Amino acid sequence: MNATLPSTVLIVDDTPANVRVLAEYLDGHGFNVTVAQDGEEGLERARFGQPDLILLDAMMPGWDGFETCRRLKADPATAAIPVIFMTALSDIGDKVRAYGAGGIDYVTKPFHAEEVLARVNTHLSLRNMQRELQERNEALQREIRERQRAEQVLAERSRELARSNAELERMAYIASHDLQEPLRMVASYVQLLERRYMGQLDADAHEFIGFAVDGARRMQALIDDLLTISRVDTKARPLQQLELGDALAAAMRSLRISIEERQAEVRVEALPRVLGDAAQLTQVFQNLLSNAIKFCHAAPPTASISAQRDGALWRIRVSDNGIGVPQEYRERIFGMFQRLHGRREYAGTGIGLAICQKIVERHGGTIWVEDGEGGGSAFVFTLQAAGQEGA
Amino acid sequence: MNAAAAPVEILMVEDSPGAVRLTIEALRDAGLASSVHVVEDGVAALDFLYCRPPYGDAARPDLVLLDLNLPRKNGSEVLGEIRRDPALNGIPVVVLSTSDAENDVARCMALDANCYVVKPMDYEGFVAVVAGLKRFWI
Repeated sequence: MNATLPSTVLIVDDTPANVRVLAEYLDGHGFNVTVAQDGEEGLERARFGQPDLILLDAMMPGWDGFETCRRLKADPATAAIPVIFMTALSDIGDKVRAYGAGGIDYVTKPFHAEEVLARVNTHLSLRNMQRELQERNEALQREIRERQRAEQVLAERSRELARSNAELERMAYIASHDLQEPLRMVASYVQLLERRYMGQLDADAHEFIGFAVDGARRMQALIDDLLTISRVDTKARPLQQLELGDALAAAMRSLRISIEERQAEVRVEALPRVLGDAAQLTQVFQNLLSNAIKFCHAAPPTASISAQRDGALWRIRVSDNGIGVPQEYRERIFGMFQRLHGRREYAGTGIGLAICQKIVERHGGTIWVEDGEGGGSAFVFTLQAAGQEGA
Repeated sequence: MNAAAAPVEILMVEDSPGAVRLTIEALRDAGLASSVHVVEDGVAALDFLYCRPPYGDAARPDLVLLDLNLPRKNGSEVLGEIRRDPALNGIPVVVLSTSDAENDVARCMALDANCYVVKPMDYEGFVAVVAGLKRFWI
């Protein structure tokens, strides 16, 4: 036996003298041997001793071996213990009955000690393997149950997250919409006041009205931006193959007036086909270009747009000759309502770059800012290349 | 029709007093002589149009200015009922709304609104819009 602990064998036989030689032989081969003299005692010892194997005499007074075996197999505490019957050599009927009662094997009397040892060892190692298999099986099942539980928890959490996200977006959308009407009242009536009482009011009154109108206008801009950012998800269209150049052209069309006013120069290199939502990518270009023009003292303000292949992605670079972004603010500028300058210096709600980031991330890309050529800044973002697109 | 001769009868369906007054002022600033009747919800609007009490002597309006978001019966329901009834179907209906949501616009156009106007945020813009209403009765 190659197990580290000695295996225990229970011998059940009504005439101990018959099995003494066998018991001593097994004992000599490193087994713990216990003996019971009838079926009832055998069952008892099996229950409390939990032997690794039972050698069971078929013919005994009281419960014979078959009855004892049936009882051993009926009791959950002993059912798994392998039982080897000891039968008379000639009795073929007994051998069949032995299997029928739940025996795993038989040895015949008179014993051939080496044969008994060989059978005992075989069944013990079978039993050990079976145990090991069972343990592994149980461990696997435990693991499966744990994973299933973990998956359930995860699924539940992501459902909750999706729900609260959707709610939040809906709230932002409704709030922005419902804020418009009262704001319209404030702005319109202040303007009406100015229009009707022009000339009857002094300079202070006109200045106060000016501040009120300006406040309402800025609030309007904030609401528009909040609506835009909440629409990045609520009004999202599926990503499809598109010419990035078209999105840029659309952005330049809507910026035409400020481009002309500042006589800004926009240099465009060939742009690739990408996977995207055209309206949203137009918005990204529009925000980046209007920043490039706004945050610039040079004449003329100049922006250059180029693309570089990067694996499955395209890296789009919008660089300018503007005032640049100091190193310490380069992450912060993508946060909502983050402004680096006073209102009188540069107008704006501080939400444009947050919108860009949200859109780029929805497209599976990232956006960051680095040094531009000649002191300005360069905003770089990645987009997925359209399918079948060469580098 | 000469605007100075007889004011146009306008039924305004709007539950915000501020919005009502602003529209009346804008009509004035746009130089349109009008007589504006105001009801605050969709049910009252239909009572007015059908001359049901308390609007037994209501004149048939030349134009309905309809807000969408109304108590009891919303603007698109009112519009639907006007368009389904041959007796009312001829009255021009202009939807005045703060909503620029695509589905609001689409629903009203499908119901044959004569015009869908997103209320401008500034007063001058609103006067311009109101001045444009002239084309519905001249």
